[in-house]
Amino acid sequence: MLRKARLREGRLTPWLFLGPGLLLFVTFRVYPLLDGLYLSFTNARLGRTQPAFVGLANYERLLEDTRFHVSLWNTAFYTIASTLPILAIPLLLAVLLDRGIPLRAFLRSAFFFPFTLSVVTVGLAWLWLLDPVVGPFNYYLKTAGVPVRSWLADPSTAMWAIILTTVWWVTGYYLVIYLAGLQDIPPELYEAAALDGASGWRRFWAITLPLLRPVLLFVVVTHVIGSFQVFGQVFILTGGGPGDATRTVVQHLYETAFRSFFQFGSASAMAWVLFAIILGFSAIQFRLLRGHTEF
Amino acid sequence: MSSVGAPRWRRRALSAALVLLALLWLLPAVWMAVTSLKPTENIVRVPPEWIPRPATLAHYGEVLFSSSRTARIGRAFLNSVIVSVGTVAVVLVTSAMAAYSLARMRFPGRDLVFTVLVGSLMIPNAVVLVPQYVLTQRLGWLSTYQGLIVPEAAVTFAFGVFLLRQFFLTIPGELEDAARIDGADSWRIFTRIVLPLSQPVLAALAIFAFRSAWNDFLWPLIAVNKAEMFPLPVALSFLRGAYASESYGPIMAGATLSALPLLIVFLFANRRIVEGVRVSGLKG
Repeated sequence: MLRKARLREGRLTPWLFLGPGLLLFVTFRVYPLLDGLYLSFTNARLGRTQPAFVGLANYERLLEDTRFHVSLWNTAFYTIASTLPILAIPLLLAVLLDRGIPLRAFLRSAFFFPFTLSVVTVGLAWLWLLDPVVGPFNYYLKTAGVPVRSWLADPSTAMWAIILTTVWWVTGYYLVIYLAGLQDIPPELYEAAALDGASGWRRFWAITLPLLRPVLLFVVVTHVIGSFQVFGQVFILTGGGPGDATRTVVQHLYETAFRSFFQFGSASAMAWVLFAIILGFSAIQFRLLRGHTEF
Repeated sequence: MSSVGAPRWRRRALSAALVLLALLWLLPAVWMAVTSLKPTENIVRVPPEWIPRPATLAHYGEVLFSSSRTARIGRAFLNSVIVSVGTVAVVLVTSAMAAYSLARMRFPGRDLVFTVLVGSLMIPNAVVLVPQYVLTQRLGWLSTYQGLIVPEAAVTFAFGVFLLRQFFLTIPGELEDAARIDGADSWRIFTRIVLPLSQPVLAALAIFAFRSAWNDFLWPLIAVNKAEMFPLPVALSFLRGAYASESYGPIMAGATLSALPLLIVFLFANRRIVEGVRVSGLKG
């Protein structure tokens, strides 16, 4: 009797424990992913109950959708232009903070704090800060003799203002990740290098950077996946303008599906093009950064 | 880098320079809070005033209880609390149970399940936006709490499993073996032994889930069409349209209010947050 009960527990128990989570996961992660692929081959739209199969029509239309091309270009520009600051600024801060300096915990918290804010809160705060007429940003620049302009309304600077805002928002997150990576580097390596007379720079290039490779890979991949989906900052700060100067793929997708045309098929095709690009980029980065490091 | 070769005075100077930079870093948030406390006529004054004199809470009263529906976020604050707490509850229960079976039980398909879950962390949320909307609509969940909680929890679930499984694997098995010899079944062992030992990591996951639910913007922007069901970020984004462009007072009051819960959590549980982020980095 007892043995029978135990046997039954043995077979089924793992799945009973997994059940609720797997149900959630399959229904709201796996199924939508596949359904999106299916939708991209149909003429589905809001309210249409029987979408018809249209083959590659949605993808073909994307080839001619110039606003989609502009959005793709803007998104790529944003991603590429923000990668270097996102890689370098938190890394620099992490290396400085890791030198056993006083107030380390306070400093880490201060840089991390913006990351606890929502993208809308961050966007609104910076919108006010960058206000061309009465905002403090331009006031102090003017006082310092720097020529100012309406940063968010000028097509040549709007995306840079969005990048600046984003750097402020996420630096603390990557800082914490770098700090964790730095702690895993054995201090003996630095001590040995110091005995050999290696300078600070030399130690950074010869020890810190190579050993941080897995962390750098994580940061780049995470950042690129996030950047290709940039939406909230742009939505609040510029709404995609001026003109289409900061319109991004997710905004274009959002408007196609939920604001102007309610075309789910077409928006799903965009989503899968975006997905393919993200996967491609991630694969390249794995190749480039993996080197000889084992994971 | 360790402290090799850096004399004490240089470390002090470095620290001072970094403190200055950190204070500068906090200025945008300070500016937001300072603005929210100024009377309207003082807000746009040039040069910028960094201390509100006189200080007033009028903007807070206005955004919380205003008679105009679009210019009011009191209800949105409540919605965000319900959605975030609900998400935390669903994530904790489902992730902990799943992680326990993946960490402690042996069964065919276990490694496959784990691999799929970890792989799903790479799925960009924007890619499932449209089909997730179609599904939520079919369930009749648009503009409901469950329509925000369940998809949000589904996103965090996989990360939760990853985080908790790592931790469960570090708990020595002897306690559980002893309990099993005494006749306890898996459920009893899980709830009476494993969960109590895992409080710190459960707290880290709870904060992580709370943060992502509290701050999520794009999904609620799409899934909620009724103003009284808006969570905070969506309500805030509409607050901007509700006021004239110069009315930064109420908007900054709303923005500051939205920052408060996590600021409080952050002040008291700094360690837990950092730990959660740290582990999230290890998945790479």
